[in-house]
Amino acid sequence: MSGPSRLSDVALAAFAMLVLIFLLLPVLIVAPMSFSDAKSLEFPPPGFSLRWYQNLLGNPIWIDAGKNSIVLATFSSTIALICGTLAAYVLVRGDFRGRRALEANFMAPMIVPSIIVAVSLYIFFARTGLLGTFFGLVLGHTILATPYVVLIMQAAIRSFDIRIEQVAATLGASQWQILTRVVLPNLAPSAAAAWIFTFVMSFDEVVVTMFISGTYMTIPKRMFAELLLQVNPTITAVATLLIAFNLLALALLLLFSRRTTLSQGLT
Amino acid sequence: MKKLLGNISALCVATAFVMSGPAFAQDKVLNIMNSGGEYGDSIEKCVNEPFFKAEGIKVVQDTPGGFAKLQAQAKSGVITNTSSDAPTGDMYRGVAEGILEPIDWAKLNPEPMFEEAKAEYGFGASYFSTIMAYRNDAKAPANFVEFFDTEKFPGKRALPDYPEFVLPFAAMGDGQTPEEMAKGVDLDRAFKTLERIKGDIIWWQSGAQPAQLLKDNEAQYAIAWSGRVLGHEGITATYNQGMLDISWNVVAKGITDDQRDMLYKWLRLQTNAEVQKCLLDFLPYPGPSPELEKIVTPEVLKTFPTSAENKAVQWLSPGQWWFENAKEVEKRWNEFKLLQ
Amino acid sequence: MSDASLAARGAAADAAAPRRRIRWDLILLIAPLAIATAVIFDIPLLNTAYWAVTDETGALSGQYFREFAESAAYMRIIWRTLLISLEVTVITMLLGYPLAYWATRLTMRPRMIVLGLVVMTFWVSILVRTYAWIVILGNGGLVNRGLQWTGLTSKPVQFLYNEFGIVVGMTNVLLPFLVLPLFAAMIRVDQRLLQVAETLGASRFRIFWQIFFPLTVPTLAASAILVFILSLGFYITPAVLGGGRVPLIANMMDLLINRFARWEIAAVVSIVLMVITLSLYAVYQRLRERYQ
Repeated sequence: MSGPSRLSDVALAAFAMLVLIFLLLPVLIVAPMSFSDAKSLEFPPPGFSLRWYQNLLGNPIWIDAGKNSIVLATFSSTIALICGTLAAYVLVRGDFRGRRALEANFMAPMIVPSIIVAVSLYIFFARTGLLGTFFGLVLGHTILATPYVVLIMQAAIRSFDIRIEQVAATLGASQWQILTRVVLPNLAPSAAAAWIFTFVMSFDEVVVTMFISGTYMTIPKRMFAELLLQVNPTITAVATLLIAFNLLALALLLLFSRRTTLSQGLT
Repeated sequence: MKKLLGNISALCVATAFVMSGPAFAQDKVLNIMNSGGEYGDSIEKCVNEPFFKAEGIKVVQDTPGGFAKLQAQAKSGVITNTSSDAPTGDMYRGVAEGILEPIDWAKLNPEPMFEEAKAEYGFGASYFSTIMAYRNDAKAPANFVEFFDTEKFPGKRALPDYPEFVLPFAAMGDGQTPEEMAKGVDLDRAFKTLERIKGDIIWWQSGAQPAQLLKDNEAQYAIAWSGRVLGHEGITATYNQGMLDISWNVVAKGITDDQRDMLYKWLRLQTNAEVQKCLLDFLPYPGPSPELEKIVTPEVLKTFPTSAENKAVQWLSPGQWWFENAKEVEKRWNEFKLLQ
Repeated sequence: MSDASLAARGAAADAAAPRRRIRWDLILLIAPLAIATAVIFDIPLLNTAYWAVTDETGALSGQYFREFAESAAYMRIIWRTLLISLEVTVITMLLGYPLAYWATRLTMRPRMIVLGLVVMTFWVSILVRTYAWIVILGNGGLVNRGLQWTGLTSKPVQFLYNEFGIVVGMTNVLLPFLVLPLFAAMIRVDQRLLQVAETLGASRFRIFWQIFFPLTVPTLAASAILVFILSLGFYITPAVLGGGRVPLIANMMDLLINRFARWEIAAVVSIVLMVITLSLYAVYQRLRERYQ
């Protein structure tokens, strides 16, 4: 290999690594800060302490926000999973006029910027009395989650061999049995992955929540408000816990999707 | 099969309805807005905690409050926050826009309080001042003309993101005198100043921010609420040319009778002199009880924006002018904020 | 109903079943989502459009569009948003392309690690990643401390609360949206093409620019459009890192709704943003469909 190209290889690697560091820096910087014993943000932290975690866990506002976030994410992702999976099944197996248009409609909440969804839901909910209710908040989060469920579950159903359903049918299985004993068990890993994905999405959602949640506090909403108002090291603890939570969810998701590919490989 | 599908479909709807449960099943809750931070902490400790013990009503504070939020809430038609703290300018703008309800003083039945704190549309909760503050290592401005002179006094300015707190000072930055302020704010001069220095402004929304911004050296000069910047290490704050004002609690139009009952009880508790003394442990904002002066030490009394010495160097917010110019202020402020 | 599979019937529906027969089972399955989407998405959006084009009496009126077009403020913020989005897109391309390319040339294990790290950042909440830049770039932050320690500067450099801070934060969040699809496209490039070119004596420089790069351009363009679309709707990053001084479209909409209570204008801005987004999305889809 000639000299210049080796040089360009080194340059490429160096540049790419810098970009990678740029990408990772925010994720890496927060965790060490959260264990700092300094009263303001200092890097490197002068000493180790759990005070910000104690501060966080001792604060009922954060605890309430955490509960709200978990309940909200659980309900919205569960509703989205059920409705989305059923719809995905029809979209894949059904063949009717307007199928593509319907699919596009289901995908739209993913494409339209969430600020538009936020403004629209705000005006609409204000006029229907849902603004500031927990029910309205669940609806808002559900509609943001459904496109991802439809996307993931469509892929899963498509890769599931239709002939297995046909064989089950010829063997005398009822529609009910086919759905519950054949289709759904095979879709379970994908469904779990979709659920985790949408749970995390709901858990991290800020924009729509800010507009329609009224007095309900969620963790990201609280964090956003605090960020705008003051730099408080407690936030580093929240952020670190969020990172840990997200990465745990990612690991779980990978676990499930590995099983999916395995089961797909077998069938 | 049909039954199953029906069940599943119904489940989507049913779970959603179950979810709406928490919205109704809570204990008695009173939602209010205020500027938060240490002020929110003081209210939580001195008012909300004893209030919960006595009445079983949980008070939830939302931050920040103010005219804009009340107006947005009024437009949405869903009145969740019953009340907000507001300076005089805000209160009069709210009255002009018709988004506030008058206070039924007979029903509220307060403990003794100064008459000036009992306004038709406002419950005077405390006296405070809006003043200038700067880092000790920054060149000290003698007045607001110098404060807004970014050439001779270089540095970032942390300014309130609220027109009633920033426009009078900005007008003074262009030479309007505190004496002239009684007739109203010269908006042209105010916006001229803000246009001139807008590259050096950091806007703050919560009262705790300016002190933090000064400490972090993100800003070198600030206009802030007196209680939030006085007595901080490394920061000079002066009542000189400050705007003395009453912090009102205003009531949102459209609240239910239940909400009003709870709110009035909560406000009545705040007219108690001991409660007001407790609040002073957090921030030097004296309440409107005539008894208060008798139960605090002279040192504490000296920090009051209302002490004779401090009062002499300050001026009063021109409430009537804000009422008459509400629309104009709103229009020009919004345009300025969007265009910055 | 029990002896024919839903699926088989679905496939055969048009041919075998009489046209008039309505597939109640399928309708029941799809109804929940269809209704939900209609009620929580379609109707609110149409309602927004309605607010934009009618006056207080409900009569059709272009007055708010006119107000929008005549005020310098709204147009200026839209321009600013388009410009910042463009900056972010270009920087993301300049940073992301080399990273993706480098990843394709790594051996299996390091490559998986690099991709894993990129995916990981993708998963961490935008709020957290945005917040971290305050710690890194603030006046008392990592970079400024470093600069002062080395004596390069005596005073802190203002990185935040201006356009620079916003561009850094947005680029950071959006990089994975470009790197991941680009990597997938690069890995699909037929290696034999490059080998043939090499045996024919082409320099590596020429192989890259005349064969490899053109093959990845469609994906680069598609991903760039995606990044641009996402930039247009950004709310959190400008709000936190712009310190309220550099509002973009989304922040303007927040002001219009939550502070100024001007729903009509917010509705107009929504429609404008929607039209821009959807037209760009159409281009994105065409690029993707044509080249995949």
